[in-house]
Amino acid sequence: MAKLSRRAIATYVAEQLTAGDSKKVVLQLAAYLVDTRRTKELSLIIRDIQFYLSEAGAVSGVVTTASELTAETKKAVEKYIKEQTGAKTVALDSLIDPSVIGGVKVSIPGRELDATVSRSLTVLKTRFKKA
Amino acid sequence: MSELSITELSNDLRNAIAKLETTGNLDEVGVVLRVGDGVAWVRGLRNAGYNEVLQIETEEGIVEAFALNLMEDEIGAVLLGEDSKVKAGQTVRLKGTVLSVPVGPELLGRVVDPLGRAIDGGPAIKTKQQGLVEREAIGVMGRKSVHEPLMTGISAIDVMFPIGRGQRELIIGDRQTGKTALAIDTMINQGKQNTGVVNVYVAIGQKRSKIARLVERLKQEGVMDQTIIVATSPADPASLLYLAPYAATAMGEYFRDNSQHALMIYDDLTKHAVAYRQMSLLLRRPPGREAYPGDVFYLHSRLLERSAKLSDDLGAGSLTALPIIETQAGDISAYIPTNVISITDGQIFLETDLFYQGIRPAISAGLSVSRVGGAAQSGAIKSVSGGLKLGLSQFRELASFAQFGSDLDEATKSQIERGQRLTELLKQHQYNPMSVWQQTASILSVTKGYFDKVAPAKIKAAQAAMLTRLWADHKKDMTELDKGGKPTEEILKSIEVTATATAKGFEG
Repeated sequence: MAKLSRRAIATYVAEQLTAGDSKKVVLQLAAYLVDTRRTKELSLIIRDIQFYLSEAGAVSGVVTTASELTAETKKAVEKYIKEQTGAKTVALDSLIDPSVIGGVKVSIPGRELDATVSRSLTVLKTRFKKA
Repeated sequence: MSELSITELSNDLRNAIAKLETTGNLDEVGVVLRVGDGVAWVRGLRNAGYNEVLQIETEEGIVEAFALNLMEDEIGAVLLGEDSKVKAGQTVRLKGTVLSVPVGPELLGRVVDPLGRAIDGGPAIKTKQQGLVEREAIGVMGRKSVHEPLMTGISAIDVMFPIGRGQRELIIGDRQTGKTALAIDTMINQGKQNTGVVNVYVAIGQKRSKIARLVERLKQEGVMDQTIIVATSPADPASLLYLAPYAATAMGEYFRDNSQHALMIYDDLTKHAVAYRQMSLLLRRPPGREAYPGDVFYLHSRLLERSAKLSDDLGAGSLTALPIIETQAGDISAYIPTNVISITDGQIFLETDLFYQGIRPAISAGLSVSRVGGAAQSGAIKSVSGGLKLGLSQFRELASFAQFGSDLDEATKSQIERGQRLTELLKQHQYNPMSVWQQTASILSVTKGYFDKVAPAKIKAAQAAMLTRLWADHKKDMTELDKGGKPTEEILKSIEVTATATAKGFEG
């Protein structure tokens, strides 16, 4: 049997999950990965599944900030993502990372909004190096 | 449809597209999966296009790469900077452009890298325009036949293998046979003869010291002002070596497309093919003959096809190419040499044996050819070049027989003697290009037999003396001859008189 691409696997799993058959598909995927010795690719496949689920309207993502977000801000971010992606549901995890210094970084499958101070500094650093 | 309604339609469409754009500030991102040997493998970025620039965010700033392998699950991208800064897990963004370099007259006199950044210690280069590194060659209807000469100043080439503006003429030979010297002389000649042709010299994987020496020489000769040098050293990543000729061609195309003339020198395409082989193997593309990838022909054909003579409608500019190929032990039937020979409009083959015999430039009369240059040869040179190539190749053949010392008939003897004189005459020192009148008068003096009594060893001295006398006595005629027209009876007579008179002082 030809090796299935991660894209093909992820599309199938995402379709099954959207159809509501999660238990069966999890078992199927686990069995397939063990059988084909591709368990190392699990994290990549999960990312791909997230991507196809987000295309189907169920977006899950991470909001990274330097300090705790208020519930209000979190709601505003959720609303923004809904507007931008046309998603039906948005599930956001919060991550506190002081290295971003300030601002916010919203990561959803395949896309990112990086309005952090650390990124601005990186861009600035590159620009000065080039000149 | 009136102009107004088209503008309205265009605005309506733009507005409609803007409303449909849902991405907002959400950039498409990917992740570096693994990196090594100058190649990064990236997942995500489903909308990446071939040759599109990717930006990898490292701790020390953004490193750029360009996508070459677009596969179902990942992208193979070649880094344009050091791979030591790039690590797995770093974020990758699309820059939204394919590779482009600054182009324009601001680059003249500068030494730049393949990304258009100054490496000559001068100020940063700011141009009004950018040119695409990869660009489709002009079509048939946009072209015109090659018809104007591009004088190299090397009489052996201008007389026997003339090059026209828009032609691609390969310079091929073993190492240390004077390939680069020919190209440099051609660049110098553009300055000396005030042809207005812009030189673009591409150094692919050459030592920085060699480039520095070249720049110094071009400055001494006063040609640097009309020259752009795109330099890469062996220490640069293979990606930069691969990009160098394409980026330089983009810089040359600016002049071609603005009704000017430019000369590209690719030094050399063997190293370019090797850099591409390295990249292809690291991208895990299947190896073919001599481990080169299957598209190595396309690598050079798409590059050299961009050199062209444009039609009058497009401004009649031109881009001439002198690619250089290094052979191993004179083997021109190896993979890359045969490819480039078949792409170009002729080749100048330099032989090691001739070089060590002191015949420099060591041009092989038998193996060299110019397929389209004949139509571009100036009238003056054409009038003296008939049968020269054939005569010289016959002489070299006969000369090898004559070594056996057998008795030779008079006809053969005279052919050999004429050949010896011609060979001596075509020897030329480096950095010493000759103008049209000098070449015409020199060739005439041997082919018409004015120098028949001059000993071959004294030919160069006789030639110099004759040219000095001609310039002193017939300056007006020679200036007229230099314009390239067919020499008049009067001019021919003055050459005959001067050559015969000069020859008397060099008999022996």
